[in-house]
Amino acid sequence: MHPNIQTSVGTPFPPPLTTDTAVDSGGSNGPGLATVVRMVLEKPVMVIGTRGCCMCHVVQKLLQGLGVNPPVYEVDEGDEAAVADELSRKIVGGDDGGRVHFPAVFVGGKLFGGLERVMATHISGELVPMLKDAGALWL
Amino acid sequence: MNSPTPQFVSSRRMSVYDPIHQISMWGEGFKSNGNLSASIPLIDEPDMKLDSQSEDASHGILGEPNKYDQEANKPTDKIQRRLAQNREAARKSRLRKKAYVQQLESSRLKLMQLEQELERARQQGMYIGGGLDSNHLGFAGSVNSGITTFEMEYGHWVNEQNRQITELRRALNAHIGDMELRILVDSMMNHYAEIFRMKFAAAKADVFYVMSGMWKTTAERFFLWIGGFRPSELLKVLGPLIEPLTEQQRLDIYNLGQSCQQAEDALSQGMDKLRQILADSVAAGQFMEGTYIPQMTSAMEKLEALVSFVNQADHIRQQTLQQMSRILTIRQAARCLLALGEYFQRLRALSSLWSNRPREPA
Repeated sequence: MHPNIQTSVGTPFPPPLTTDTAVDSGGSNGPGLATVVRMVLEKPVMVIGTRGCCMCHVVQKLLQGLGVNPPVYEVDEGDEAAVADELSRKIVGGDDGGRVHFPAVFVGGKLFGGLERVMATHISGELVPMLKDAGALWL
Repeated sequence: MNSPTPQFVSSRRMSVYDPIHQISMWGEGFKSNGNLSASIPLIDEPDMKLDSQSEDASHGILGEPNKYDQEANKPTDKIQRRLAQNREAARKSRLRKKAYVQQLESSRLKLMQLEQELERARQQGMYIGGGLDSNHLGFAGSVNSGITTFEMEYGHWVNEQNRQITELRRALNAHIGDMELRILVDSMMNHYAEIFRMKFAAAKADVFYVMSGMWKTTAERFFLWIGGFRPSELLKVLGPLIEPLTEQQRLDIYNLGQSCQQAEDALSQGMDKLRQILADSVAAGQFMEGTYIPQMTSAMEKLEALVSFVNQADHIRQQTLQQMSRILTIRQAARCLLALGEYFQRLRALSSLWSNRPREPA
């Protein structure tokens, strides 16, 4: 699925990734995954979710509605465990990070949480300031 | 299996209507004296005597052929005995009929009483049965215990809710202190947390039941959004009722409304996507093959996502309540909760009045 891309003024965003483009050779191990990890660390906001997952769509729509246009990495159903593991190790770090559940939102190179946390922080008014701090929003 | 036939309707529905049982019994009693006909009352005339001399006469009185004609030559005492049996049978039949009619009358009275009680309770906003159409016994032949439990607990929940609303109203009018008010407010917030817990469990038992708001009254269901109220809508209704507010509070509430709207829109778009995915799943493959099991399997998997939607929608509702309690002072929060509770009471009363309004005969 390719979500619509609307670039904010003066902010070039890369096109959204799918496993088609991110993974060279049909497997979720190897360079593809490393690229994802790099992007998570580099991008202000990034969404990673299972292909075809409606909740991932919800997160994306919510963030887009706020003026954030996060890159979305879609994981094939069979690769979820591998991707989650890699992210847990590289991003969350150590055993205390806890399992990554999809859809997962990363803000400022760190695991922010899932849909529930995004909703809760938005309702409480904390989300937008956090996004601004991470450089995902200007205004 | 619960397949309603005349004799085997569940006692819960039929306790008032036991007479149906009585009808067949009474009818059978009638039938067992097969040689009786409509002429019974005539036979039992006290001053009617049958002896060999008045046979012809009695035949004339009876007015219709009677097997006793053929027995004109049999001994009289046999005839006498039969007549006595007939009289007895007729008497018993009349007694049974009388008993049956009495039972009908008392059942009718009981029914009228129950209907009155129901009406009174409904108008006070109490929860009654959620409508017989949402009955979870019988039609499909299986009982969904998760939903039955939910409906029962919801009944208690509403009654407790009404009690708390009354108490809160009294407390606000009596101008009790903030400390005591906080206890009431916390209590009501916990009570709302309770309904969300119940809905979470019910969604796992039957997500479509929760999605369609089956436990709610008709007017409440008119405002349904993914299994409950729409937070942004409710904020617009309640906002004016909580005045006076500070400028900052008004701004905070406005922002809260905006955030709710955005969260709701995102969730609604997700629902649209789910519908699209589901439709694609169901419609996949060739038609006119007559079989569609792979489509069903795939569609069933997609439907699982519905539970998440209901949960997320409830999550938004809960978060909105939490945020309101942060924005408002304790007294304002009390007024807000009172307004919220009363609003739903009124919707429930509206539903009841609407369903009982006088209608033109067809």
